[in-house]
Amino acid sequence: MNSYFTLLDIIRVSPLIILFLSSLIPITIKVLRGNQEQSPEATLIQGLGGILAAALLTMTVRAVAVDPASASVFSGALTIDGLTFWTWMLVLLSAATALTMMYDNPATNGDQFSELTFLTLSSVLGMLILAAATDLVIVFIGLETMSLALYLMIAMSHEQKLSKEAAFKYFVLGSFASAIFLYGISFLFGTAGSTSIPEIMALTGQLIVTNRLFVFGIALVMLGFCFKVSIAPFHAWTPDVYQGAPTPHTALMATAVKATCFAAFLRIILTKSLVGSESLFNFLQWLAVITMLVGNVAAIVQNNFKRMLAYSSIAHSGYLLVGVITAGVSDHTAFGTGGVMFYLLGYSLMSLGAFAIVSLMEKNETTSVQIDGLAGYARKRPLMALCLTVFLLSMAGVPPTIGFFGKFYLFASAVGEGLIWLTVWGVLNSVISAYYYLRPIVVMYMQDGDAEEATHPMHATRMAILAAAFLVVALGILSGPIFTVVERAM
Amino acid sequence: MILSTVTLLPLVFALIIALWPAEKTLRHLALGLSLIEFFVSVFMLVKFNPHTADLQMVERYTWIERFGISYFLGLDGLSLWLVMLTTFLTPIVLLGAWNAIENRVRGFLVCMMILQTAMVGTFLAMDAIFFYLFWELSLVPMYFMVGIWGGTRRIYATVKFFIFTMFGSVLMLVAIIYMMFLTQESSGTMSASLLEFYKLKIPFVGGQFLSLQTLLFFAFALAFAIKVPAFPFHTWLPDAHVEAPTPGSVILAGVMLKMGTYGFMRWVIPLFPEASEYWAWLFMSIGVIGIIYGALVAMVQPDIKKLVAYSSVSHMGYVLIGLFAFNEFGAAGSLYQMLNHGISTGALFLLVGMIYERTHSREISRYGGLAAVLPLFTIAFFVVTLSSIAVPMTNGFVGEFLILLGAFKAQVWVASIAVLGVILGAVYMLWMFKRVFFGEPGELVGDKQHPLHDLSLREIVVLAPMAVMIFWMGLAPNQFLSMSQESLRHWVEHRTNYELNIAGDASTVSGEQK
Repeated sequence: MNSYFTLLDIIRVSPLIILFLSSLIPITIKVLRGNQEQSPEATLIQGLGGILAAALLTMTVRAVAVDPASASVFSGALTIDGLTFWTWMLVLLSAATALTMMYDNPATNGDQFSELTFLTLSSVLGMLILAAATDLVIVFIGLETMSLALYLMIAMSHEQKLSKEAAFKYFVLGSFASAIFLYGISFLFGTAGSTSIPEIMALTGQLIVTNRLFVFGIALVMLGFCFKVSIAPFHAWTPDVYQGAPTPHTALMATAVKATCFAAFLRIILTKSLVGSESLFNFLQWLAVITMLVGNVAAIVQNNFKRMLAYSSIAHSGYLLVGVITAGVSDHTAFGTGGVMFYLLGYSLMSLGAFAIVSLMEKNETTSVQIDGLAGYARKRPLMALCLTVFLLSMAGVPPTIGFFGKFYLFASAVGEGLIWLTVWGVLNSVISAYYYLRPIVVMYMQDGDAEEATHPMHATRMAILAAAFLVVALGILSGPIFTVVERAM
Repeated sequence: MILSTVTLLPLVFALIIALWPAEKTLRHLALGLSLIEFFVSVFMLVKFNPHTADLQMVERYTWIERFGISYFLGLDGLSLWLVMLTTFLTPIVLLGAWNAIENRVRGFLVCMMILQTAMVGTFLAMDAIFFYLFWELSLVPMYFMVGIWGGTRRIYATVKFFIFTMFGSVLMLVAIIYMMFLTQESSGTMSASLLEFYKLKIPFVGGQFLSLQTLLFFAFALAFAIKVPAFPFHTWLPDAHVEAPTPGSVILAGVMLKMGTYGFMRWVIPLFPEASEYWAWLFMSIGVIGIIYGALVAMVQPDIKKLVAYSSVSHMGYVLIGLFAFNEFGAAGSLYQMLNHGISTGALFLLVGMIYERTHSREISRYGGLAAVLPLFTIAFFVVTLSSIAVPMTNGFVGEFLILLGAFKAQVWVASIAVLGVILGAVYMLWMFKRVFFGEPGELVGDKQHPLHDLSLREIVVLAPMAVMIFWMGLAPNQFLSMSQESLRHWVEHRTNYELNIAGDASTVSGEQK
């Protein structure tokens, strides 16, 4: 062990490096110009350019520099496997869309946009590390890089009250979750003698039965993730933070952050600790059921559109947890993980679209979009109303949208593993969810009113919405080959 | 290609309508397009070979290889007439509702076209997931039709309709997924094809609810029973029917309810023969309760449209009985009754819509003495009433007679009670007829604000084909039934080991008897 890393390692993490370097460009320019903000268009292009470069490099690395047998980087600290690849692509896609929304949104545009771009890219950097990490300490580093940048981003909003509360709440509860997670790691290190996930995995089968401290540790690590992906009863922060944060940030949290945390959650669950521990298995199943119910039932009574979407996001975490559990007990892990990954792709597309519509309707940073405020939107903006309808129906799981096929793959793998009652809970919950997803559609199309939109045109956001709506339908119909590719990669 | 054309052509039409530049000619355009669709389906009818029970004009392409899901369309005697009913009713509805829809015409016509694709697709799809896709897709346009163009309580009605139907269908989805895994277990490759599902032998334990076949049976049956709607699940129907605009009611009653009974015929009974037989008493009872309950509730309705809606519950009860009689009379009668109900109830809703356009009221008590003022309308209404109460020589008689015949052969007690429904049906329809058309002129007759004028030429053109069908199907039922006879016979005789072959498939031709 005389050299800790090789040139190959550097090539494999080059997307991270390029992203980090490009995140520095806007703020460096600002400093060089004597603290004068450059034009937001230029900042946006630099940010998107960085993300695009990272995405292209990721694809190149996957095609050229990774062979499936040894995908590990830096002596197993990171792994560039299929799960990493797809999560990275998803995160970069979501981040690009969210950054576009930030450029348009009144709560985030204007002054300090270059700082915001820097923080966004730093947060994305944290996500990429987290998604690839196969050492628990690196997992923690990724988690904190991501979260710290997010706390700042939320607090930077031009809106004065709710966003500060949201940032503080997110910070306190997020740190609490990190502490639990760290506490869990210490137990795992103490019992297994390593923080490397593959090494822990090799010992799990034996330790999970013999050593209660190990079970305790792995349970705490999982609870840490449950906090992050807002599994009930650890979801209480979600509605407040999602509502208080500027809408583009909410979109980023609901999609990229959630996808990353689920990817990391999958790595923990793939240690197969659920197979050895019946109680852990049952515990997670109950959490999934409770999460779906809490999210869907609470969403019914919401009047604030963003808050409703926040509760719906909790419910979707519940569905995803079903997939995570499936991956945890399945012999063909690719089945469950493929389902989770595909669902995350679908969920990200429809959430980005829905939040982008909310962003369109925000006239200034203090606007709060109510569901009743959508009245008459279909007459005023038929195309946007149609897109929102597509997103909401997709969330409810109506075919032929990607939301339906996402649920289909997720539940099909669960049924394949014999988790039938969990699946029945899942589908019944999607009926409950149909009730509140229909409400905005009812208001838009069937009630007269004067829906208000932001005064400036927001062309970039509109483009993103149209693209997302197209993909929700097109990828739904063509989901078969995509799912196969995702599944093979796992 | 013909089945794909019939299924997907309306979708193309929807796009054309959405992009059509002239607002004024939209209705003409839609009518013309729906007539094209009708002629395409007539072409399909002509090409249909009635001498085999096999699946014809099959089109099959792999869609999602991983799960064995395919784009799979096929036609046999069970689905033939239901497709024809759909394509026949659509132009009639469009012409009949010429003035019923005044605002957002474009959106309405687009919904109509998408709905047509969904309905035809439901009848033709032979792959479980493909079927489910159309089944759920049909909810969306109907949801908008009721919700945007409906009456005062439209939003409550449309959300209720959506949630009820979706509740039933998601459990069916779980059952479908489970059966896909069963095909993987038994044959090695996963498949969602209905033909593979038929080959499954699912273990059945009588008297035990938590056994495999029983659970799957109920998961499917619930979805279809809600759609039919069978007795305890019918509550969405009066709301949706009454609040829907006239064309919505016609399509809902005329075609969408048949998706439920078709589901029983195509899916539930052949897939789960033992469970169907074991639980036949339950569905027979539900059917009988539906007949009597629907008729009694219809009798006391003050609103004509609600009366017609409850009469649907009653009529669909017959279809259930006929299906669960498991004999040729019952099956043929059920299939016939589906068509009859589509025509007679569709026509009734159209007539109610026509009078509502004139008076803006549907309350029976405000009418009376219409016969003197509107002779043509009265004649049309009378003809349809005759069909609805199953007077001989009309189509209704053939269907109800065959069903009762089948029921007597299967379960005498069921048939004896069901016969009461025929009498009750005559009571509520004729009583309503008397109150509306005869007696003292009601307050709406001679009302200056709502001048009554008799049927216009357009309305006569709308009603004429319906009247022709009523007598044609009543006088020459064999012309229709002979097309489905082989399929129905196959369905009855091979109920316990039902399998469908694809016509012209080399491996199956040798096994054919005729």
